[in-house]
Amino acid sequence: MPSDLSSLVHWILFLPLGAAALSALFLRRAGGLAAWLSTGTAFAIAGLSLNLLSKGVDVTWHVELAKFGGISLGFGYLIDANARLMLFVVSFVAAWIHLFSVGYMKEDSARGRFFAGLSIFMFSILGIVVADNLLMTFIFWELVGFSSYMLIAHYFDKDYAAAASKKAFIVNRIGDLGFILGIAMCLSLYGTLDFVALKDHAAAAKTIPVAVGALLMCGFLGKSAQFPLHVWLTDAMAGPTPVSALIHAATMVAAGVYFMARVSFLLAPDVLQFIAVSGAGMAALAGLCALAQTDIKKSLAYSTLAHLGIMGCAIGLGHPALALMHMAMHAFFKATLFLGAGSVIHGCHHEQDMLKMGGLLKKMPLTAVTFIAATLSNCAVPFLAGWYSKDAIIEAAYHDGHFVIFAFLALAALATCLYSGRMIRLVFLGEANSEEAAHAHESPWTMTLPLVVLGLVYSVAGGFLASTLLPAGSLQPIKPALDAIAFHLTAPSTIVGLFSLVVGFFGALKFYGVVRGADTLQVVSPRTYHLLEHRWMDGLYLWYVNSVQRRASEFVAFLDLLIINGVAVRWIGGGVPAVLGYLTGRSFHRGQTRAYALWIVVGTLFLAWFLIAR
Amino acid sequence: MDTFPATLLALAITAPIFVGLILLAGRDLPRSFASGFAFGGFAIPAVLGPWLLILWSNPSTAPQQFQSEGFWGFGFALNGLGAPLLAMTSLVGLAAGIKALTQEVEGRNTYLGLILFMLGGTLAVFGTNHLVGFYFFHEFALIPTFILTLFWGGEGRRPAAMQMAIYLTAGAMASLAGILIAIDASGVEYGVATFENVAQGLQNAKSIPAATGALVLFGLGTLASLFPFHSWAAPGYSAAPTPVSMLHAGALKKFGLYGIILLGLSSLDITGGSLGTWFLWFAVANVVLVGLICLAQRDLKQLLSWSSVAHMGPIFLGIWVCGVSGKADGLDAAAFLMVAHGLSCAALFLLANAVRARAGTYRLDELGGLATRTPILAALFIAATMASIGLPGFGNFWGEVGVFLALRAQPLWLQALVASTVILSAVYALRAVASTFFGPASEALEKRFASAPFGDLGWAERFAAFVLLGASLTIGFVPSLITKSVNPVAAGITTFSQHNAKAPVKAAPAVPTQR
Repeated sequence: MPSDLSSLVHWILFLPLGAAALSALFLRRAGGLAAWLSTGTAFAIAGLSLNLLSKGVDVTWHVELAKFGGISLGFGYLIDANARLMLFVVSFVAAWIHLFSVGYMKEDSARGRFFAGLSIFMFSILGIVVADNLLMTFIFWELVGFSSYMLIAHYFDKDYAAAASKKAFIVNRIGDLGFILGIAMCLSLYGTLDFVALKDHAAAAKTIPVAVGALLMCGFLGKSAQFPLHVWLTDAMAGPTPVSALIHAATMVAAGVYFMARVSFLLAPDVLQFIAVSGAGMAALAGLCALAQTDIKKSLAYSTLAHLGIMGCAIGLGHPALALMHMAMHAFFKATLFLGAGSVIHGCHHEQDMLKMGGLLKKMPLTAVTFIAATLSNCAVPFLAGWYSKDAIIEAAYHDGHFVIFAFLALAALATCLYSGRMIRLVFLGEANSEEAAHAHESPWTMTLPLVVLGLVYSVAGGFLASTLLPAGSLQPIKPALDAIAFHLTAPSTIVGLFSLVVGFFGALKFYGVVRGADTLQVVSPRTYHLLEHRWMDGLYLWYVNSVQRRASEFVAFLDLLIINGVAVRWIGGGVPAVLGYLTGRSFHRGQTRAYALWIVVGTLFLAWFLIAR
Repeated sequence: MDTFPATLLALAITAPIFVGLILLAGRDLPRSFASGFAFGGFAIPAVLGPWLLILWSNPSTAPQQFQSEGFWGFGFALNGLGAPLLAMTSLVGLAAGIKALTQEVEGRNTYLGLILFMLGGTLAVFGTNHLVGFYFFHEFALIPTFILTLFWGGEGRRPAAMQMAIYLTAGAMASLAGILIAIDASGVEYGVATFENVAQGLQNAKSIPAATGALVLFGLGTLASLFPFHSWAAPGYSAAPTPVSMLHAGALKKFGLYGIILLGLSSLDITGGSLGTWFLWFAVANVVLVGLICLAQRDLKQLLSWSSVAHMGPIFLGIWVCGVSGKADGLDAAAFLMVAHGLSCAALFLLANAVRARAGTYRLDELGGLATRTPILAALFIAATMASIGLPGFGNFWGEVGVFLALRAQPLWLQALVASTVILSAVYALRAVASTFFGPASEALEKRFASAPFGDLGWAERFAAFVLLGASLTIGFVPSLITKSVNPVAAGITTFSQHNAKAPVKAAPAVPTQR
């Protein structure tokens, strides 16, 4: 019965909000309790989502919160196949990341705040998934930005965390500016914000204005860290590693992809074209930039940027189902990679520099094996999860005849193999390059179990198991999409992929073994390394903030002071206080308040008499 | 007719004034007695205000039930726009009162008494339907504001109070002239010059003097810090004692907007012709130029004061677009934002003062890393900041987004200019949060802490902040609490102003015509 299922969605959505409120209000000092409350909630949601997924039924539910004139402020659910899949992926990955956090954050004094943050994040992201209208999406969109802000700022006493959290929020807001204008335009054109009604309007209309899609896309550019709003994602690694895994790898950034898939009917061809080209370019560029990062988390962050580019590209090419498929698979293996990185960082006593690691395969075998398995999925080794999803998109570009995009994606595939090989070589192989790495230890079970579950079950076997583990209904939109592009083992994309794998992955393993304790590329070609390492867009933004925005604001403040306050007020208004001051001078400076109180009474009575008597 | 609601209303307004009178008269009253008494004066409206709003939203309670005879003819009455504003004022008053009670000041009883006067006057502004009473009560609240700023204010209080007095007197004079001319033109007797009657009268008026709309808009606009008549606001709020800043910026300032809506928008066609164009550009300047000025601020309280001016921009624009489009959505959103801004703005002034009490300064470059020492203060300050920059969950979100959506039929560049507030406000507000609370603790702060260790936010102030933020969250989650009572008013004004638009105002003679 639909009514029963809507109450199921209520539980899924509001459980984490309750957990967050409880933790924030009462469990600030009881971190352990907050941790298990939040984790328990996350697993409960995962169970409920799996239940919903297995039922395979669409759920709709709607209520009007209030009205502004003719605008209905609605709140409701639209659970279709995509939403069910997304709900499951988000909640399942999140549940294991919660468990991982229990171990990872054990020593942290602010666990209550941290887990409250994770729960409020869950609430926000699940809200985006279930929303049935644009305004509700925007609401949860903003809340995701807020929870991300709070979690990045977890180590708020560090300047870099303070700066990174602020940057993430503001850059996201820049995207949201376009998003809200797009929502206003939808309302203006179609008179509704409801997805189902919008779809009907879009189907009835001959063409969709480019501006609608372009503006809505701004939200996607911000949240999914797409060019030119990608600058916040690498800085966001200032948060604790589980946060990077949950928000900045698996779910938050995927929200943009999910949203674009949800409103794909509103995207005009020109908008799709832009998303496809910029996504493909982003994929190639970010993949190469990952080569010039020595911080393991930042390197992974660039890898995420690259994959988001690939997903964006799939949407642009008109294959939203493939984008969602890759989003799901990427969520699994990237969460594994980030959690693996977290385990490594934890094991090496909070060392994040890959050049100071090495030889961890022996010290941390479980972490190493799961990390390597996820890496291979990332590199799209045939029959692993990443192969199904990533190469399918590359194949789609080829199949549809977009050869430039195909070339960019092929370059991205090569870059993926290069940075993956480099990472494995620097972190797990060779000899330990620092005291910390030499004394590394394997992490506790709360941290390794999630790695094993997420890593082995899903990254490696994900593709195989997807059809058996996930109920058939959830894969409905993906199967025809795969058929449509005739995806198979000898497809051009796979051949390119295998070539990249051999040359890139194994080449990197060899190449990065040459120099010890330093980056080989930096030694061999410092200019190339600098070209990839330097953050050109950040420089541009910094210039804008310091040279344009700050000067403009100071100039306006100066003008205000000079013209409005100085000339207009002092000169024109100057006479009045001078006279008044002279007249009242004596009594004014006596400082007797009671005299003043008397004056109030006298004055008001006089005024009242004057007005009434007229 | 059930007179119970009218009694509640009269009690809510007169209780603080009555207590204030006693405290002013008895400056030697024992401290504990005075404190208890004053708390009662703050708490009674805070209970009755929200109660009245709920009663008002209940369809079975007729509007007439909220009217009472009062004194000298202008009795109290509550309309659908006044009800949520009165409720908001009562909560801001409670928070401000609690803050005032925790302060150590000279002439404490007089101080508390004057704040109670200010509160009572502000409540009465929203609790009267009579135009003259409306004006009178504003003055009634404003005079204690000057005095409080002048005698109990902080740095630069004398010039600030002086500037504020001149500006607000000028603004009040202009608006009084506008109000009197409007009443005159409407042909309504002074004794029954309610908003409804005057608006009705102006519909049927043969001519309305041309300057009336401008007098009302710019006169009341000055009181609500419409650009470029805003110069008094930032120094005024900054120099005022914290409870006064809370009440003034949060509640009393809404007087101007309230009047602009109920008199200007409904019957004086302030959004038409060249006046409307000026209105639009001034309101946009409130958003963009004042937003930029906020970016240049280096002092926490100055920043809050300026941002309170900037946040008026979307409210003005909501009013403007309602007049231009003839649709009620903009006005609904503006009214919502008026309520929500009052709550968040008061909370920020309250908490900023708690920062200063600990760090000894408002200067952002001398602050830093306070969150390690005072996590609860930090959490509440961040919550209030998020409320003020329109995070969903808090009331401000509905107001801001509602205004953006109401502007949907306007040119895209205009929408973008207005919506740029989401970026500007995030930049300056988060910068303030980061430089106050985040990062390593500043040297000055550590020294101060070593010499005189300070604790986290006290229980009284915590409670005050909870009241304000809790109210904001409540209307954020249940927006119908506000819209139920505002919707009919907005719909009614829209019908009126459409009527006006159909029959354009004729060129009026220079001298007001006598009836």
